[in-house]
Amino acid sequence: MAEDLIRMEGITKHYGKVQALTNVDFTVHPNEIVGLLGDNGAGKSTLIKVLSGAEPLTSGDIFIKGRKVTMKSTADAIANGIETIYQDSALVPQLSIARNLFLGREPTKGFNRMNQEAMNQVARDLLKKVGITKNIPPTTPIGSLSGGERQAVAIARAMHFDSDLIILDEPTNNLGVAETQGVLRFVRGARDSGHSCIFIAHNIHHVFQVVDRIVVMRRGTIAADDIDPKKMSIAEVEDVITGETH
Amino acid sequence: MERSLVERLIAKPELGPLVLLVLLLAVFTAINPAFMSAQNISNAFTFTVELGLIALAMTLLMTSGEFDLSVGSVFGFSAVLMWTLFNTGLMPMGVAFLAAMAMAMFIGWVNGMLVTKEGIPSFLVTLGMLLVVRGTALYTTQGFPQNTWRAEDQWLAEVLVGDVTIFGLRLYMSMFWFALAAIVTHYVLTQTKVGNWIQASGGNSNAARARGVPVNRVKIILFMFSSAMAAFAGIISSIRTQAANPNSGTGYELEVIAMVVIGGTVLTGGRGTIIGTVLGIFILRFMRNGIVMIGVPGLAYNIFIGGIILAMMVLHNRIERRHMTGT
Ligand SMILES: Nc1ncnc2c1ncn2[C@@H]1O[C@H](COP(=O)(O)OP(=O)(O)OP(=O)(O)O)[C@@H](O)[C@H]1O
Ligand SMILES: [Mg+2]
Repeated sequence: MAEDLIRMEGITKHYGKVQALTNVDFTVHPNEIVGLLGDNGAGKSTLIKVLSGAEPLTSGDIFIKGRKVTMKSTADAIANGIETIYQDSALVPQLSIARNLFLGREPTKGFNRMNQEAMNQVARDLLKKVGITKNIPPTTPIGSLSGGERQAVAIARAMHFDSDLIILDEPTNNLGVAETQGVLRFVRGARDSGHSCIFIAHNIHHVFQVVDRIVVMRRGTIAADDIDPKKMSIAEVEDVITGETH
Repeated sequence: MERSLVERLIAKPELGPLVLLVLLLAVFTAINPAFMSAQNISNAFTFTVELGLIALAMTLLMTSGEFDLSVGSVFGFSAVLMWTLFNTGLMPMGVAFLAAMAMAMFIGWVNGMLVTKEGIPSFLVTLGMLLVVRGTALYTTQGFPQNTWRAEDQWLAEVLVGDVTIFGLRLYMSMFWFALAAIVTHYVLTQTKVGNWIQASGGNSNAARARGVPVNRVKIILFMFSSAMAAFAGIISSIRTQAANPNSGTGYELEVIAMVVIGGTVLTGGRGTIIGTVLGIFILRFMRNGIVMIGVPGLAYNIFIGGIILAMMVLHNRIERRHMTGT
């Protein structure tokens, strides 16, 4: 087996008196989509917040490709190749698709002037690559895109800047059928071009459609971490989530 | 998704103020043809640029999601400071000018630090700063205007406010400074990487930070810029009117913010337009001037300004909503 892309060891996280994570071990392999399942409050979001630098951990270690890292901010995580996609928060609604794609890394051509033609061209190509079939000009402001399209832009950005790991926390929430299928396609597209994903969703059917492996969390711990969606039924996984034994 | 040219034009925030400005000019000229005289236009321009310089800087600052209420007090204080340093023989005028500008930037830096590092809203920070700066100007001068009569043969005075007459139109150097500042700020906001950062800082600062945009630094620099422009404008004004009054600039902050929002820049940040601000500057200027010229009592001025602000806000709000929902 190739070296782990991400390895989290003995992760514990307290929010004041609340213990959200207790001694969690979690790994992501290269080129893999991991589905992270668990009931409300199981600790899924907390785990990925720790991994994406949005929350400091209380104790434990994080390794990226075998190298120990400390993540103090989301910017740190992005620099380390870990990109988190939330439905809204990762993009600037007033800026165009192209300007969002390149935010913070705008190509320039003297006098700090952005190379907008190049940015628009890359944006156009990326939108196609990520599977947006509708003809959306790259100068369209993000604010006028649908929830699914926004996530497509965020995924496209992660792919373009070669993030190793793309994290999606409930990306299919509030999305219609077609948009959901779109997002699932973007996620597959990202894996097919060599990226890994962590995919969190309450809709088990969506998870089953895309992931290679399922990890289940329960009350801040890992309940199962090597479920093959091809070998287990949805009902069986649901039992693992709720902790029922037959 | 592709929109027609007409639709795109209507979605532009600058269209409303442009139409309004043309309407104003037409109405005023119809009632009193002297409104369009070279003399009147030149008069209107002169004073415009002083507030206008501040409005340009305020546009950038507001696009980044902050605003500055202390500009009016910095306007008054900086001129007083420069003239005090010069009159007491402490410094030659050029050095006194630089000292006043440096002091203004320091004030802006303090504003920026308190807003970004302490997390205090810019409304409160700059309101407090307004009182401190205005109070300092009044206290140190005991409320008396500073003498500026020795400005005449100073090269600096020539560079800042000297005048030339072209085709019967008396043009001041300050107009040149204003035009230059408008072009540069427009370029920065629309074309540059820094401009993208300014918009992103105001639009979604967390997203910008996550992409490595130095949001705090952007805001601090814009606070310094806004203070510096206020000082520059105040000094120009003091030379032009030959008076450095510790009270001058009172209330300018609100007039400047009015200019900026009428032009279509959003108070909450993320979207800003220099073209709109320039239109807003002219709208307010010609309103003030035109109302008097068509015989409306000057005291009624604020009624019209208030009405225009409210009407434009409704308009911009509707356009913004249409724009963002993409319909
Ligand atoms: N900022 C916070 N302050 C205090 N407690 C928190 C905070 N965030 C999460 N928690 C607590 O930590 C635990 C795990 O929450 P988390 O958001 O990780 O769950 P989740 O698995 O993502 O749930 P959901 O499926 O509902 O999103 C919960 O008990 C929650 O109340
Ligand atoms: Mg969650």
